[in-house]
Amino acid sequence: MTRAPLAWSMRIGLCILGAYVALALISLVWTPYDPLSPGVGDSFLPPSVEFPLGTDRLGSDVLSRLMAGTQYNLGIALVAVILALVIGSALGVVAGYYGGATDIAISRSVEIFQAFPGVLFAMLVVKAVGPGVLNIILVLSFIGIPDYARLARAEVQSRRNWPYAEAARMVGNRSWQVAFRHLLPNSMGPLLAFTSINAAFVSLVTASLGFLGLGLNPNTPEWGNMIARGQDGVMTGEWWVSFFPGLAILGMTGAFYLLGDALADLADPRRRR
Amino acid sequence: MIRLILQRLLWALPVALGVVTITFITARLFGGDPTELFAPPEATDELRAQIRERLGLADPMWMQYLRYLADVARFDFGISFSTNQAVSTDLTERLPATLELGLTGLGLGALIGIPLGVFAAVKRERVPDFLVRGFTLAGMALPQFWIGLVLIWIFFVTLGWFPGPVGRLPIEVRPPEPITGFMLIDLALLGDWSSWRLALWQLVLPAVTLAIASMAPIARVTRASMVEALQSDYIRTAVAMGHGERVLWFRYALRNALLPVITLIGVLAGNVFGGAVLLESIFGWPGLGQYALQAIEGSDFAALQGFVIYAALLYVITFLLVDVLYIVIDPRMRHA
Repeated sequence: MTRAPLAWSMRIGLCILGAYVALALISLVWTPYDPLSPGVGDSFLPPSVEFPLGTDRLGSDVLSRLMAGTQYNLGIALVAVILALVIGSALGVVAGYYGGATDIAISRSVEIFQAFPGVLFAMLVVKAVGPGVLNIILVLSFIGIPDYARLARAEVQSRRNWPYAEAARMVGNRSWQVAFRHLLPNSMGPLLAFTSINAAFVSLVTASLGFLGLGLNPNTPEWGNMIARGQDGVMTGEWWVSFFPGLAILGMTGAFYLLGDALADLADPRRRR
Repeated sequence: MIRLILQRLLWALPVALGVVTITFITARLFGGDPTELFAPPEATDELRAQIRERLGLADPMWMQYLRYLADVARFDFGISFSTNQAVSTDLTERLPATLELGLTGLGLGALIGIPLGVFAAVKRERVPDFLVRGFTLAGMALPQFWIGLVLIWIFFVTLGWFPGPVGRLPIEVRPPEPITGFMLIDLALLGDWSSWRLALWQLVLPAVTLAIASMAPIARVTRASMVEALQSDYIRTAVAMGHGERVLWFRYALRNALLPVITLIGVLAGNVFGGAVLLESIFGWPGLGQYALQAIEGSDFAALQGFVIYAALLYVITFLLVDVLYIVIDPRMRHA
């Protein structure tokens, strides 16, 4: 009874994300029109059979651009959260396992970085270092690191003296082996759940940076960029240019949230009530 | 309790220092050479050196850092290139517009989100619960700026029910001399009720956008927290004692379930300043966010840096208030 909705949200989340991955791969080899070239149709054509999602001001095909955008939005989100997961958990495990001065140094810096509004920091840095996929990935993973570190620290600290950790020490494992081979894998549940939630956040921030014209070159078919390009059209009734990229974001971000919820339930049986 | 609050207040100081330091490092590492902004392209090396000297860039880094700290402590963020005013004056002038929109939107979000969460929790695993969860999931998964654009498209462009995104007043109405800076309060003080109505109408769409975006997480957290509270022993006792449903939900369960919700509202309030950049750009709202966006577009680093520090400090203060509030309302914290 309690398991049914659990599997349900996990399954939907995974299916949607699978569809996005497929879309990203397909767009590498085929899109209906060239997403980068203007003038494949007239300016601001409403959705029709020829152009299912219409065309934008420059006469580019919205569907093709949307498909090509999947590479950017999904790719940035995935790489950024994996990077943050690896670095953040490593810091957290060290802080939680060794304690003492190491812990204080790591935890205090984490607290200070957490007090800094992440989105603003991203805006400041991206403006300064300039647009580009790599820059965005680095900034977005950087603002995620404190959360992972705090989470991993709490998990490892609470299990440091559990019998299985003692046992691992007794048979002669080195301390880093106990921390990373035994304690970290047992803390992965909450970390993975957070990773999924974080991926949703990262994709929203990516789109926000794109919308502000900070993320990537303005012609890049990133979804936030596309919404910005259609903004004027909305005022004159050409809603489709901005509307569909929003739905694409909704699907991807929603799927990450669903998956994250399901993973959090799995990691914490008390939540399964 | 007093000691706990004082400790918390003291911890805010190193955090604020850290925030200011991060901004300094980011600006120095990535901000480029400010000399270039003042020197004409054909300037000689000698002239450049003079400019560097005058800007204080020739001093060692630690001296620049200390001077910067002293400036920030006096709320002096330098002069903005685009407005030619002190950045701190600019920021203070624009703060009320952002607060007016932020408080209205967040208040509206809490007013709808909390009852919605309670409703979903008492109807758990039934149709209303699934509807609320679906709705709130969408509210969290959509970018705020997109929600704003869609509201403009529906309610301004298509239906014409609300005015266009031109800021706090229609273009033809002259804004009053600021008294408090809050448009609705100022116009009420002046007794100009026809303009007051227009200003209220301008506020609706941006405030609703913010309300939708903040209502979603508030409803979700309220629901989760209520579900837990409703399963607790004290509720079972209260049921056994024959209390009515409404008393149970609102007087006993909700009161205990509200703590995480308050934390969340604090976080959302802190995020209002960051989110303002996007929201205000869509609605032409002349607040801090639009100022920051102009600074970004014009590469006006003094202004951008001032905004980031300002927003970060407001963020730190908001969290401080939430923590203090927590200590005051949670009896367990008082004796910790």
